[in-house]
Amino acid sequence: MIDTQQLTKAFGSNRAVRELDMRIDKGEIVGLLGPNGAGKTTIIRLLNGLLAPTSGQVRVQGMDPIRQGERVRALCGTLTEHTGLYEHMSGRANLRFFADLYHVSDPGRIEELIDLLELRSFVERSVGTYSTGMKKRLGLAKVLLHRPAVLLLDEPTNGLDPDGTKQVLDHIKALNQHERTTILICSHVLSQLEGVCTRYLFLEKGTKIEEGTRKELERKYIRERTVEVEAALGEPLESFAEFHPVRLDDDRFRFTVPDREQMAELLRRLASAGELYGAQTRNADLESIYFQIRRNSHAG
Amino acid sequence: MLDKKAVWTIAKKDVYALRASVQLWLPMLVVPVLFGIVFPGVLLTWARLADLSAMSSLGKLVQMLQSISNSSGKPDFGSMPSENHQLVYFLSLYLFAPLFLLIPIMSSSIITANSFAGEKERKTLEGLLYTPITMKELFLGKILAAFVPSLLLTAGAIIMYGIIVDVVAYPMFGRLIFPNASWILLMLVVVPAVSLFVILINVLISAKVKGFQEAYQLGGLAVLPVLGLVVSQATGMLLLSPLALLVIGALLLIVDVCLVQLLAKYKRHAFLDHHV
Repeated sequence: MIDTQQLTKAFGSNRAVRELDMRIDKGEIVGLLGPNGAGKTTIIRLLNGLLAPTSGQVRVQGMDPIRQGERVRALCGTLTEHTGLYEHMSGRANLRFFADLYHVSDPGRIEELIDLLELRSFVERSVGTYSTGMKKRLGLAKVLLHRPAVLLLDEPTNGLDPDGTKQVLDHIKALNQHERTTILICSHVLSQLEGVCTRYLFLEKGTKIEEGTRKELERKYIRERTVEVEAALGEPLESFAEFHPVRLDDDRFRFTVPDREQMAELLRRLASAGELYGAQTRNADLESIYFQIRRNSHAG
Repeated sequence: MLDKKAVWTIAKKDVYALRASVQLWLPMLVVPVLFGIVFPGVLLTWARLADLSAMSSLGKLVQMLQSISNSSGKPDFGSMPSENHQLVYFLSLYLFAPLFLLIPIMSSSIITANSFAGEKERKTLEGLLYTPITMKELFLGKILAAFVPSLLLTAGAIIMYGIIVDVVAYPMFGRLIFPNASWILLMLVVVPAVSLFVILINVLISAKVKGFQEAYQLGGLAVLPVLGLVVSQATGMLLLSPLALLVIGALLLIVDVCLVQLLAKYKRHAFLDHHV
């Protein structure tokens, strides 16, 4: 679906994207993660033909975004950080305007999206009066008008409160499930993308430093695990010495285990000796993986 | 292939934006009303009724009018019954003409700077670039959205001006002195050609700069030649003949065609390249 080979984009002497090889198959949700300035927005622009590569190749559904730009853009829905909405126009007028530009002739599509993204209560108001969350939702409706096969989202949850973030991410996941939309999400807020993407791609200074599924990355980067449990221990704490126990509270403890297998062993013992009410791994989240990757990439 | 609907959509949206923004259309309306209707009305009425022989400096102007009218092709000021006739005729048909070039220049540059550089500034242009419209459709829509309103505004101002001129001058001359061939050519050839020229210059400038202010100031440079025309016209060095107008119009159209070709080479991916 999306394929880049040795893709490089330089602005003067500054190389924003460096020799990027990226492949995204149909139906995937890929998270493009990296700090601000890592080149995420530049990649989205390159995929749409808004920038020309300095060297290397970009293909979207086999097409070149520079030479076959109109067809590529008809295939893609791109939500940028600035939603590109006209503030003096109402939400509905914005949708109508973009529906015309995307050749969407079915007037029912606008209504459908108004319902899907719950815009009804404010869609007649001018966009200038909207909150950030309303703008993001309207922006998302805008890029979904033409039922794009590829959705490119640049920081879709930036500036949203937790409710808004959850709503937007839920919509994105549902879209992927129902319409098999291929989705690329750029973000620097890693915790939000936990559980959303099928695959992650880490970017730093325009260079890809790692990629893989959540499981692959966890295997590769998370060795020692810290787990917090809520339990009634059947045995004295000292008998768990090999798991480096720390008492946090009356019935809450922290253990550290060297790998996944030892984790299973610990949980088994906790459950058989006493009562295990709950357990949560503390250092195997996306953020921990990310810091581990960055440490490794800086080290060598 | 050109998608007319997309062109029309862009143009309609821009005209709507223009209508919604009072600080844009109000000055564009005030200037034509003031300089095209109020001032000429007052000045022409005064020129018709005043006792001109009492004013020595005006006497020189009248003398000058008589001297230039000796050359062929120029109106015969010398045969007019009074100095008031000469002055009214000169003011209404010659002095104000270049002012009506300023109206399309001003309105075209304001509208284009706002619609192009303004969209860049407000970060909506990028959103347009992500849609499947071609650059040709985008440029055409933007050009249309400036061309039509500016032409309508100028035509409206010229018609109002013409009514005032004829109301003041008819009782003196016993015929409608407005419009003459020069004015018809001005409206039908020169005004469209100048408007298009200013719009194209502004589109090219807007594509390069970051914001509205910058675009508007650079675009203002296009006004300078016309100011030169006003001054030269007023000092009587150049009485625009129909032939001169045709030549100016034709030259401008040639320049316009060149500018369109320059614009047609403009690539979508050149828009953001300067600013990242």
